[in-house]
Amino acid sequence: MSDPKIEGFELKPGFSGMAKDTASDQTMFKGVHWGKAMMWIFLLSDTFIFSCFLISYMKGRGSTIVDWPNASEVFGLHVFGVDVPLLLIAIMTFVLITSSGTMALAVKYGYERNKKMCGWLILATAIGGLTFVGMQAFEWSKLIHEGVRPWENPFGAPQFGSFFFMITGFHGTHVTFGVIFLFIYAYKTFAGHYDEGKRGWFTTMKGDYVEIEILGLYWHFVDLVWVFIFAFFYLW
Amino acid sequence: MSNTEEKKQDSTTHKIGIYLWIWGLLFVLSFFSYMVDWYQFQGMLRWSLILFFMFLKAGLIMAFFMHLFWERYALVNVLLWPMTAIACFIFLMVSEFKYTVFTRFFYFVVGG
Amino acid sequence: MSDEYENKTGYQAQSSESIASGSIGSGVASDSDYVRPAENAEQDLYHGHSFITKWVFCQDAKVIGVQYFLLATFTGVIGLVLSWLMRLQLGFPGAAGFMTAEHYYQFVTMHGMIMVVYFLTALFLGGFGNYLIPLMVGARDMVFPYLNMVSFWSFFVAVAVLLASFFVPGGPTGSGWTLYPPQAILEGTPGSGMGIILMCVSLILFVAGFTMGGLNYLITILQARTRGMTLMRMPLTVWGIFTATVLAMLAFPALLVGSLMMMLDKLLATSFFMPTILKAGEVLEYGGGSPILFQHLFWFFGHPEVYIVALPAFGIVSDLISVHSRKNIFGYRMMVWAIVGIGALSFFVWAHHMYVSGMNPWFGFFFATTTLIIAVPTAMKVYNWILTLWRGNIRLNVVMLWCLGFIVTFVNGGITGIFLGNVSVDVPLSDTYFVVAHFHMVMGIAPLMVIMGAVYHWFPLVAGRFLNETLGKWHFWLTFLGAYSIYFPMHYLGFIGVPRRYFEMYDSPYMTSAVGMNEFISTAAFIVGAAQFILIFNIIKTLKTGKPAGHNPWQANSLEWLTPSVPPEHGNWGEKLPVVHRWPYDFSVPGAKEDYITQTTPPSEVKDTAVEKT
Repeated sequence: MSDPKIEGFELKPGFSGMAKDTASDQTMFKGVHWGKAMMWIFLLSDTFIFSCFLISYMKGRGSTIVDWPNASEVFGLHVFGVDVPLLLIAIMTFVLITSSGTMALAVKYGYERNKKMCGWLILATAIGGLTFVGMQAFEWSKLIHEGVRPWENPFGAPQFGSFFFMITGFHGTHVTFGVIFLFIYAYKTFAGHYDEGKRGWFTTMKGDYVEIEILGLYWHFVDLVWVFIFAFFYLW
Repeated sequence: MSNTEEKKQDSTTHKIGIYLWIWGLLFVLSFFSYMVDWYQFQGMLRWSLILFFMFLKAGLIMAFFMHLFWERYALVNVLLWPMTAIACFIFLMVSEFKYTVFTRFFYFVVGG
Repeated sequence: MSDEYENKTGYQAQSSESIASGSIGSGVASDSDYVRPAENAEQDLYHGHSFITKWVFCQDAKVIGVQYFLLATFTGVIGLVLSWLMRLQLGFPGAAGFMTAEHYYQFVTMHGMIMVVYFLTALFLGGFGNYLIPLMVGARDMVFPYLNMVSFWSFFVAVAVLLASFFVPGGPTGSGWTLYPPQAILEGTPGSGMGIILMCVSLILFVAGFTMGGLNYLITILQARTRGMTLMRMPLTVWGIFTATVLAMLAFPALLVGSLMMMLDKLLATSFFMPTILKAGEVLEYGGGSPILFQHLFWFFGHPEVYIVALPAFGIVSDLISVHSRKNIFGYRMMVWAIVGIGALSFFVWAHHMYVSGMNPWFGFFFATTTLIIAVPTAMKVYNWILTLWRGNIRLNVVMLWCLGFIVTFVNGGITGIFLGNVSVDVPLSDTYFVVAHFHMVMGIAPLMVIMGAVYHWFPLVAGRFLNETLGKWHFWLTFLGAYSIYFPMHYLGFIGVPRRYFEMYDSPYMTSAVGMNEFISTAAFIVGAAQFILIFNIIKTLKTGKPAGHNPWQANSLEWLTPSVPPEHGNWGEKLPVVHRWPYDFSVPGAKEDYITQTTPPSEVKDTAVEKT
């Protein structure tokens, strides 16, 4: 976020600021809560996980000599007598982006210590995430119904099903964990844990609204990954 | 930790407008990338449009929703430089799958 | 609940005036001693009350470090016993009656995996990292102690799952520690059923647990240093562990992905890695996958993994050499950049493990080039160690012996690495004992020597007593000479072409030409293995009866020796966090009263000395 004020330390902008921050004592990321820095590094690690998945997908898809199924037909929906390509996926994308937006606003209101607004927005985000997971479950069952299996599918290369279930499954797991935490955090917000600095249940650490931002980072990351999956798996 | 947080308080929030703008932009871009499929663009046009919208969306989410635009360069650089390893991995795997598919065609189809 | 927490906010000086008067014990306060106030509020710690919260599910990084150390050592001993069994078969075929070829492959696999991942990685990062990072950077604990505790217990479960695979039908996997598909999951490979599944599960648990720990190490180093502790004032130990942890955070994802995909191949019959396979004239259900993809994923993890083991060793040995030769480390900044450079480069060299795998032939050029570039920072480090020793006031104690042993062994292993980094040399040497000798020298014996040196060095801190020097010298010389007796002849075996991972040589010419040497190597291996129990005996003996060490027994400068109590308590620093004024290498400074100036000594106290500004 924007620059904090630190006693005895002048914050410079740009690369000279970077050099000065790095060379300084105590902290490298000035004014960044350690939990937030930790979440960022975790997300970096997680980025490598998803990158490895997508690189494997690229290598697998590129080196198969059987035709790859046409995603826009496979994921199409038949509504009102018309075949609409990728309809469900488009809606899922919109749902996830909506929830990402509400999360961004929740973070904003959290920092403004607006408990009500923050709580409701987190709850909205959680419901968006839940909708996404539900739609994904629907998509999976539809494909399984059509005969797509991790080891084979009627449309083309067997790796299609393998990569589809693995990558979307791994992403869906991330969303699910996010939803669980969103509900917990919504409760904690409404209960005022972040206003009064109540200690966490397991970690015995004092609550603070920065936790909302940390959760927000995770949630936006899930959205970010979906952007890549949407592009590479569904559109490509 | 509470001290630093309180110090941070006054400077961390941004106007709501910026979030709504980015939000709207993300919707529009998603719509565009969906349209790429709708109109069944093919070939280079399709790939470049998909990648363009993808990177734009990813950039907007990271820059504004994840606040990277407002973070100090120390954090931004720590997060972005490791991507060179991923870029190298991608680049090499592209040539690897081309080689694999070449050998497969060579031995399976042309005959070995 | 409230009495569990100590609110130490009041202890930290918040303005420059109180610091100037507060942080200096003696001498005149002056502007030169000014260190800007604390950015972070004091960490409040959870102090355990019961035995369970104090010693089992403990949130103190030091206890977690010792837990990691003990569990990793326990697994390491299992790996050692497995290597004995392998050597027994190789040196004296048939001497171990129960040993079949299947057993042999399982032992090879488990020995490799245990030693690389569950022993060395866990010991260096989990053990030394947890114990030393908060002490060396002047923090009270890791930033997220609870997560740190979960990290250890994930590791515990991972080890339990790994060892459970010895007792499942079919036994542990026998596909080699690289777990290459397709053979890893096909019938006919030992442990291709439950064995490989448990291996993958165990690796995934290890990665998950390690990620939790690694986040703690990184953020503690980046965000929770004490006042005055800049990155360039950190001991090289911390730099080594830090960079290794960065590598781990970015490399383990590839292992996780590879393990997960292989598990799916096994359980759901997907074909990520499985090509079309004809078995006894019958086409298996697999088809279209890419075995080489696994190799890329594995080595994208596997090569950084080498440096995950090596970099902490580099860092620790730099500190040990500096302390025990009473000289500052030569070229500190060069050493730091070399560590960082090696770490960064290690992500661009992975396929030099795959020269004979049938990958795109053009890759050989790329990877040979990047591999040989790594020799530059590595050689810089070796020169700097030697230049640190040069004209130093060397204490030839056990710690120093281990360090010298490390340098020699590392140079040896490094030079064979240059051989193997070249494609044209690697191709004939691939899969021979030359490779075995190379990697055991460079990432087995060399880091192990550093571990031993570090144990002798830091035991007085952890236990408050010295280890016995005489036993230590026996331990060192037996290990050092024995290790050379094992691995030096192996280079020769490799040159004459003896292939590795062979259960026996059957009727090949090696049956006659290599048999004497194999007997010799095996005998040496038994002795070296047994010699390690000297250390265990030494530790048990000196825990109660050793010579008390007292404060800062080695006259070192770094913060971990400056705690108010030895061994340090939970919270490390008592009332007040230390304030750092210099790097940890001010040894033998001209004009100083003693031959060391601790990191907390303010400049006003050493005005008349020729101390460098750091």
